Amino acid sequence: MPEAKLRINRYDPAIDGPLSGGRRTGRYDEFTIPYEKSLTVLEALFAVQEGFDETPSFRYCCRSSICGSCAMYINGHYRLACQTNARTIEGTITIEPLPHMPLVKDLVCDMDAFFAKYELIKPWLIRNSKAPEKEIHQSPAWRSKLDMPIDCILCGCCYSSCPSVWYDEDYLGPAALLKTYRFEVDSRDEARRERLPYFDNERGTYRCHTITNCVEACPKELNPTEGIQWLKRAAVRRRLLGRWK
Amino acid sequence: MKTELVERQRGGMWLWLLQRVSAVVLLVSLITHLVATHLFNLGKLSYDNIDQRLMSSFFITMDILLLAAAIFHALNGTRMVLLDYKFAALRGRRLLDGALLLIGAAAFAYGLWVLWPWIVK
Repeated sequence: MPEAKLRINRYDPAIDGPLSGGRRTGRYDEFTIPYEKSLTVLEALFAVQEGFDETPSFRYCCRSSICGSCAMYINGHYRLACQTNARTIEGTITIEPLPHMPLVKDLVCDMDAFFAKYELIKPWLIRNSKAPEKEIHQSPAWRSKLDMPIDCILCGCCYSSCPSVWYDEDYLGPAALLKTYRFEVDSRDEARRERLPYFDNERGTYRCHTITNCVEACPKELNPTEGIQWLKRAAVRRRLLGRWK
Repeated sequence: MKTELVERQRGGMWLWLLQRVSAVVLLVSLITHLVATHLFNLGKLSYDNIDQRLMSSFFITMDILLLAAAIFHALNGTRMVLLDYKFAALRGRRLLDGALLLIGAAAFAYGLWVLWPWIVK
């Protein structure tokens, strides 16, 4: 019977005290989980809680790679625990929280700043004109521009992997900017002038230096860098050329 | 991140755009400079040789563009790196911008002073 050897990062504020910034305790607990045919890392964590130690904390929800809750750093890669199969990992499976994020407990990171920046860019469709009688028309060509950015599940992997975020806590980050791109490139959205100041600034798109860690980290294989460069060009088109579409 | 912070951090588009424009100018003027100085005139470099070349309005223009583009590109690039680590707060940013502007203006003025005899000829 195959076995999965897990090495789980541990942190308990009641025991280890407060940890600032992205610091970690360096403390790990090890478990060996036997399985039959298949085992995702998330299932392995459930097995740890049910059979060995109920205290490790981690986030999860859908178990099908669509909610983004179980984003973790597994053997040095940004992964969704529900999407990562133990059979594909050789040796010990080291499970850590998203790097450079403040830690709440064990594998649970503080996502407050991440979501605050997401809310700041007004991530909803804004229409100023009168609603049409039926649907808002959108051609297949315009709809296809949304194919990439619409798949973002706000897992935080790109945000955690971005060096510009590590060094400037006020930088919006790749996830918020990808969502900005998602609405700016949506032909139905009419908030061009309203949203522009939120990304066209020194803490917005211009802090991106196309490092592309976000592209490598994204478990959905999206390209936030591409979206951010589009936003930079869009700012020039709008402010210099007056082209607001 | 607060909305007021976003409001105070406006700007960046022109510097981002000019970094790319200055990169292209730098590429063209640097290649011209290298080819003219180090390829066509290899072994022949002397004051008279350079004096002859700078008498041409094409070469003096290229040199002034090279001077301006190199100073801008270097200092703007330095600014970008520094903003990633420090000086992100508005007051710090203004101090940094002021210091870099002074350094850039001084460097450009010095370069122009060196080229001045050929500019006025």
